[in-house]
Parts: sequence; C-alpha cells; structure tokens
Amino acid sequence: MDVQVKPFQDATVVEVVGDVDGSTAPMLQEHILAVAQPGCRLLIDMSGVGFMSSAGLRVMLILHRTISGGKGHVALVGLSDDIKDTMSATGFLKFFTTAETLEAGLQALNNG
Amino acid sequence: MKIDFTFSDTIAGYVTHFNRVERSVKISTSDGREFKGILTPATYARIAQNLEEPYADATGRLAELLTPGQLVYAYGVFYPDAAEGDYTFEIKSMVFPGNGPSVYRHEEQDWWIKQIRSIGHSYLKWQFNHPKDEIDFRNYRTFLHLAGGKKGDFLQETDTVSRLVFGFASAFLLTGEDAFLEGAEKGTQYLRDHMRFFDAEEQLIYWYHGVQVSGDQEQKLLTSEFGDDYDSIPAYEQIYALAGPIQTYRANGDPRILADAELTVKLFDRFYKDAEKGGYFSHIDPITLDPRAESLQHNRAKKNWNSVGDHAPAYLINLYIATHDPKYADFLEDTFDTITERFQDYDNSPFVQEKFYEDWSYDQTYLWQQNRGVVGHNLKIAWNLTRMQGLKWKDSYAEFSKKIAGLMPQVGMDIQRGGWYDVVERTVQPGQRFHRYVWHDRKAWWQQEQGILAYLIMYGVYKDEEYKRLARESAAYYNSFFLDHDDGAVYFNTLANGLPYLLGNERLKGSHSMSGYHSMELCYLAAVYQNLLISKRAMDFYFKPYPKSFKDGILHVEPDILPPGSICIESVEIDGKPYTDFDSAALTVKLPETEERVKIKVRIVPV
Repeated sequence: MDVQVKPFQDATVVEVVGDVDGSTAPMLQEHILAVAQPGCRLLIDMSGVGFMSSAGLRVMLILHRTISGGKGHVALVGLSDDIKDTMSATGFLKFFTTAETLEAGLQALNNG
Repeated sequence: MKIDFTFSDTIAGYVTHFNRVERSVKISTSDGREFKGILTPATYARIAQNLEEPYADATGRLAELLTPGQLVYAYGVFYPDAAEGDYTFEIKSMVFPGNGPSVYRHEEQDWWIKQIRSIGHSYLKWQFNHPKDEIDFRNYRTFLHLAGGKKGDFLQETDTVSRLVFGFASAFLLTGEDAFLEGAEKGTQYLRDHMRFFDAEEQLIYWYHGVQVSGDQEQKLLTSEFGDDYDSIPAYEQIYALAGPIQTYRANGDPRILADAELTVKLFDRFYKDAEKGGYFSHIDPITLDPRAESLQHNRAKKNWNSVGDHAPAYLINLYIATHDPKYADFLEDTFDTITERFQDYDNSPFVQEKFYEDWSYDQTYLWQQNRGVVGHNLKIAWNLTRMQGLKWKDSYAEFSKKIAGLMPQVGMDIQRGGWYDVVERTVQPGQRFHRYVWHDRKAWWQQEQGILAYLIMYGVYKDEEYKRLARESAAYYNSFFLDHDDGAVYFNTLANGLPYLLGNERLKGSHSMSGYHSMELCYLAAVYQNLLISKRAMDFYFKPYPKSFKDGILHVEPDILPPGSICIESVEIDGKPYTDFDSAALTVKLPETEERVKIKVRIVPV
C-alpha cells in the first residue's frame, strides 16, 4: 500500500493505493491522523484501493471521530463497489460523505 | 497533637448498657472497643426504612430499643471538656437497623425485592419517563442528576447501557414485572443495533465504547474516551457490554444474545488472551487489535483485575447458569485458578496485587493505582471464589477467600463507623497504624455491595458466625445511609460518618460509574443468599422465554451458583397455571412447545 498526501485546491488529498489490511492499516492511520487537524478539508482518494479489511474500517471510524471532534470535513472518493458494500453492511457508509471524483468530493465538502 | 476542639462523628456498635437515670448508653464497636454516649433532650432516632417507605421515627422508643446487643449508629459531637484526654460524646441522632437486637430489617423476606422494584422504577422513569412514555433507548443518557434529570449531554456509553439492562433483567427475574423485561430487551436490542461491530473478516464481535447522539444522527465511538484507556479498546468495556444481555438471556433465551456472547468470547480468546503466560490483557490497539502495540503506551501488554477476573461476575457466571455449557465452566475455572495463583501477595500486603506486566511481574507504577489496593476488588474476589465453590470445590479457593474475609475487616472496613473504604495504600509506612486512604475516607456504594455479598455467601457456605456478623454490619450500614429516600435509588458515596456526599460526579445517579447495575445486582443476590442460604425461605423467580429458544427446551432456573443440593424447585406455574414437567433437583424446567411466549413462575426452596 502506498499513501501520498497532496493539496487539491483548498483541500488536502490523501491518495491511497493498494490493499488496506491488518498490516497496512496502521500506516494509513498514521498518515490520515497527521492531516486530520481541526478545521481540515480532507479528500480520501480510495479509487486505487481494491480491498479494505476490518482494520481499515476501524481506521475510518477513528478518522470520523477525529474529524467530528475537530469540526473538520472529510469525503471518501472513488470507493469500489465491494468496499461500499462492506461499509454499508457495517453501518459505516452513512457516516461519510462519498463522491466518485475529486472534483465531486470538493463540491460535496463545499456543500457540507 | 492535642485534639482540643469539638468535632462530630459516628459510632457504630452494639449496645452494652443503657443507664435510664443518666440517659447514657454504652456502645461496643465491631472490634470490641466501648464508648459512652449521652442522650440529650434533642436526640432523635429512626429505624432504617426501605425505599418508598415512610420515615420510621424511633425517638419516643429509645429506652425500649437501647437494649444490650442492639446494633446502632450514633451520630454526635465529641466535647473535650471531660477529664484530661477524654471526651464527652453527646448523641444527636441514631439509626437502628431493626426493631430489636436480633432484628435486621434488611433480612426481611421481601426487603431486597421491594428495593430492586423501587430502584428499577426510578431508572425507568428517569431514563424514559416510563410509564407515561414508551421505553425508548434513543432517550437513554449516561449522565443523570441526583434527582434523575438529564444533564443535557448526548452520550450513550455501551457499558452503562448494558449495566442498566442488567439491573432491569435482574428486577424482572425477581419480581416478574413485565416493564423490567421490556426495558432489558429493548436495551439489549439497542446495544445490538447501535453498539455492536460485527467483524466479518475475523468472524467476531466487538462493542463500541458508545455513541454520541444528536437527533437522528449518531457518531460511533470505537475507542474509549476515558483518560486511563484513551484510544484503546479496553477489555473492561467489552466484558461489561455482555453483562446486561446475558442476564436478559437467562430470562428470555433469545438465541441472538447467545450468538453475540459467543462471538465476543471469541474476541477475548483471539486477541485478549495470553495463551502462553495465562490471563487476559487489559487493552488492545483499535486498529491492529494487538495488546502489545506501542500505541497503547501505559496500557501496553498489561493485565489487571478487570481483564482477568471481571469476566466471572459481569457475565460468565450468568452465561454458565443459562447454558450449563462445559466450556464456560472451564473458562470460569481457569479464571479463578489464575486469580488464586497470581493475585495473592500476602508477604507484602494484606491486599491483593491486581496490576501486572505481561510476565506477571507486578506493575506498581500504573497511573492512579501505583501500589494501592481497592478494598472492593478484594471483597469481590472473596465473593466470587465462594460462588465458584458451588461449581467446582477447591481448597485453594476456600483458603484464599477466607484469607481475604479475615483480613479485610482489619484494613478495609471502618470498624468505628461501619462500612467499607475505597482505595488505600497497600502497605503501611514505619510508624503508621492505618493504611492510608488515597484520596478520601469516603465509602462508595459498589464497594459496600462487595462486602455484603462476600460475607452473606461466605456465611451461607461456611457457616462461620463471624461472617454472619460482618454481613449484617455491612448490610446495615448500606441500608441505613445509602438509600435516597428523597429522590430514589442509592447514593454514590457517603462520608466516613454515613452522611451522603453529594458533590461533583458523586452527586450523580447516572455516570461512567453508576447506572443501576451494582445497586440492583446487590438486591438480586442479597435476596438469594439471605432467603435461600441463610434464612431458609422460599423465593419466586420469573422467566419469559421465546418459543424454541433455550437448547433442547431446557430452562435453567438456578438463581446463582449455590452449593450443590442446597436448593430445589418446589413448584412451577406457566401463565398462572400449575406445571409439572420440571426436574426439582436439577433446577430445570422442560419448556412446553408453544408458538407464543409464556411467563414462567418458579418457586425455589432450600433443601
């Protein structure tokens, strides 16, 4: 798994490529929490993620709590159907704003 | 230092002599020290009353009540105007736990049953405005004011919901009142719908710390929000998440509860258990579920009383009672063997060691605990080891529990005023006679529960008269001072002298610590031990199983793990009609095959 953090207009993109599983989730957590500061605007680009284990789901939960506590905004971009299904089945999906593209994600953050 | 000033305090003890002319009374404390108190024209007295009972004035009956052997709590003022080094103690008020030297109101057959009903109704009203409104756990809040009002927060902690569910389920088992079962079942459903994380990958369950609700929105809190446990998944919270559902399962047999329990036990086995060195770790990392993760900091690779021992009282004994599954008996035995092997430290302290590193070396640096002992944990061990004797007798369990029962009155009990202390230093320093109280000398409600239950069951099992006396004194103090006759349920703390302490979190009826669990657990088990083991009186228990719920249609009705052969079923009614398909000695009822739920009343009698 590879994680790149880069700016996109007035937001920060965390681009994740590869599988998020028990061995890689801690690294993802580290990268995400580093940028999940109060007032942040985050786009988590997961269009390059084919598989996300329950450890990844737990990273998402912690991100959600951190963002909510710090009054920031986050959108998940490019979720695969499989990951969407998993998040939906565990009740996580409704906590997050989702979008197909970075532009749509930015628009969603602006609306949110 | 000379105490050359007046001060007020309480003396708890037994009347040895009443001088009608002098209007004075001599009182001998629990450990046999005698004090003389003077009655004044303003002295007033009451007999302890149960919740929802009227004040029972005894001011006009003092001469009758102050007979030798009568236990009394005398509150008054010490005046240093007597002979040098002595005091005059003028009594301002008195509480009698009963109407005569051998009469204790808390030993009445229905005392604890009335109390659990009252506490249960208080929490139904406070949390849900029941019976005016429907029971709806969306309205549940962890924090409640002294009088039960909500504090305006939006937190629903999993373990406090579960603890209240435990209280409601216990109240149903004892009273058969359907509102309590409704509360227990709706709470269990709420936990399943909102607090449960089913990990499809690992095929197990863990429970959220809680949810923060706002209208229809809710935020899941995966990791603990508490300072000691922050950003981890503590075993303690997972253990207590099962407490309420499992107690509910005993009454209704809902197979979904059993499935949740099995998958949570799987979590313990997979991620908390130390298969190599024994016991269970206290915390795991929320992402990797690793107990040795560096992120856990001060909680990394630790074991403690909660993670090792709390399985038994919180859910495991009840899970075994409901299922009689041998694997839970083995789990219990392993738990008590570990406690017996690892916690005793009598070369160094009269208190158990309850914080450990991975290799069982002592952790005496942990946050607030340092080298300190929790009185209630020691008593809890004695109580639960004695319960376990009913399942598998071991001399080592008997020796350990008797050791605790012998030591605690010397170091954890207030022999001057009654009641059990809180957290104390495990060792005394040179020149000290008393173990130092860490923060205060107040007494918490849940530690009183441990003392009452420990000595009740130990008297019931070992028939030692000393245990009977300590059980009586423990229950008398609790029922004299902890019941909130103004607003309902019980106070969190009393001062050393018995007066309620009502500041900060300790003013609350609902908090991280208090939610109707210990107070109702105490009622349930004190009723069981007092009636069935000690006073030898019949008790009724109520169940309402779902059709085709319990395995093989067998309902296990034993109220707790009691000595084998000590109780049996006398009679059974189903929906008010006599029913005969039961095994009296085995304490089982063969459930009828029905399409609807039936209500079962079981009368259990001592053998």
